[in-house]
Amino acid sequence: MPGMWWVVSATLAVALVAAYLVWTAGRVERLQSRAELAARALDAHLLRRAAAAAVLAERRYGVELYAAARIALDAGPEEREAAENDLTRQLRTVRLDPSDPECEAVIAASRRLALARQVHTDLVRDARSARSRPLVRLLRMGRRHAWPRYFDIDDPTLTVPVDVPAG
Amino acid sequence: MRIGIVCPYSFDVPGGVQNHVMDLAEALIGLGHEVSVLAPADEDAPLPPYVVSAGRAVPLPYNGSVARIAFGPVSTARVRRWITRGDFDVLHVHEPLTLSLSMVAVLCARGPVVATFHTAMTRSRVLAAAQGVLQIVLERITARIAVSALARKVQVEHMDGGAVEIPNGVAVAKFTGTQPLPDWPGECAPGRGGTLGFLGRFTEARKGFPVLRDAFVALARERPGLRLLVAGPGDPDDLYDPLPADLRDRVTFLGLVSEEDKARMLRSVHLYVAPNTGGESFGMILTEALAAGTTVVASDLDAFRRVLDGGRAGRLFRTGDPAALRSALVELLDDPAHRAALTACGDQVVANFDWPVVARRVLEVYAAAIEATDGRVIDQEWVGLG
Repeated sequence: MPGMWWVVSATLAVALVAAYLVWTAGRVERLQSRAELAARALDAHLLRRAAAAAVLAERRYGVELYAAARIALDAGPEEREAAENDLTRQLRTVRLDPSDPECEAVIAASRRLALARQVHTDLVRDARSARSRPLVRLLRMGRRHAWPRYFDIDDPTLTVPVDVPAG
Repeated sequence: MRIGIVCPYSFDVPGGVQNHVMDLAEALIGLGHEVSVLAPADEDAPLPPYVVSAGRAVPLPYNGSVARIAFGPVSTARVRRWITRGDFDVLHVHEPLTLSLSMVAVLCARGPVVATFHTAMTRSRVLAAAQGVLQIVLERITARIAVSALARKVQVEHMDGGAVEIPNGVAVAKFTGTQPLPDWPGECAPGRGGTLGFLGRFTEARKGFPVLRDAFVALARERPGLRLLVAGPGDPDDLYDPLPADLRDRVTFLGLVSEEDKARMLRSVHLYVAPNTGGESFGMILTEALAAGTTVVASDLDAFRRVLDGGRAGRLFRTGDPAALRSALVELLDDPAHRAALTACGDQVVANFDWPVVARRVLEVYAAAIEATDGRVIDQEWVGLG
């Protein structure tokens, strides 16, 4: 019965395609939600750094750093990247003393922010590449989520001068 | 924190990745975390208490050398059981792009996964043929660590992603607490005596041993009592044959040394010489020599310059130039105060590479990975639904 083989192979093909589609949809969903979690973590670290900088500015470094920290805290989504870069620049102009707890808080927050930024950039890249596949776009998988957006800021790591005696 | 670490290579054979994994695990345990290491090992092999065996490793030619790895259905089952039982907060795999336990673990796990890339290898041939598999593995990694600037560069340029650069640590205590070998390093006075050290494959061109040999031969003739201590894998004939017959008794060859003897060897010399001519991604041996409190003389490669803080923690000489090396040696052998100043600076540099310091930085990466993922590490159907 040659007709029988047609039915079997067609069913098998449909099952394989369906499995692939379900798997791809799950993959897109997973990458997408991971990018969103990373964005939330990045947001938290940005706030933490700005808050630590504001505390420090209030006590020691005066109005410019304080203004930069406030602007970063209050910035809307459009100007936030520029405001954060500005804060990084301001922090680099002051001399931070790692033995002071408030300075150390800013240094640590910047270090953690640098990690969050790195992780976020990687995960957004993965999510975007998954979502730009032709099949994914054709079937509009992941349409419940906004298109993942990079957060483009300079590396916020602060280099602390290591106190090494001249040899 | 509960941390699961996967080492792709068997602990039966010593190697850079294995040492890194063991030192990291011990440092993390020292900081009060619960650590379980999964690695291939023979059933009866003596293992540290925190290591879980994933079965026997098979030798497999890989990327120009032989790697002893475990891969296949039995290993997969063990990896999955280990993940389920471990209930880890974070999974840390090493070299996940080798066909190994690490890759299996990445594919089996969901949740926060951190990966460390050691070698500066680009894609292996096996994986170049399976671009899709590579992408699936990389996609499951939440945060990446590169142990050197070179390994990081490969990440950025070939794997489409960044990585946090965290250098290899040094177990400083293992190097400071040892005694020099008996009768070493001997006397070192202006104009005579002094001991030089070299560790590594002296037959390999990029290690630059001929540069040191030429400098030694030229210097030994006018400096009585100058000695050279060499350790590393290789045939003694390859070491002694190119040397003039009258100088052979001033060169001592230790052969391949254990980690313990390596520390003793580094403390048995006045000057450790790293005459490498290129290809060194990090310069682990330099940090080890600094940890042992030995003065370092190294070629001015970028990686060495960085470790030696631009020349403040050790003397740099022009790469591949025996004459420059020779004058650097004379200068330092005749000037103990200068040597002491360099080692004092080296102590501070090496403090940044001490394992507890490095482990704290790794913990920050774990925290970043956990924040970007929901939940703990769980096992899932292999190539399952998403």
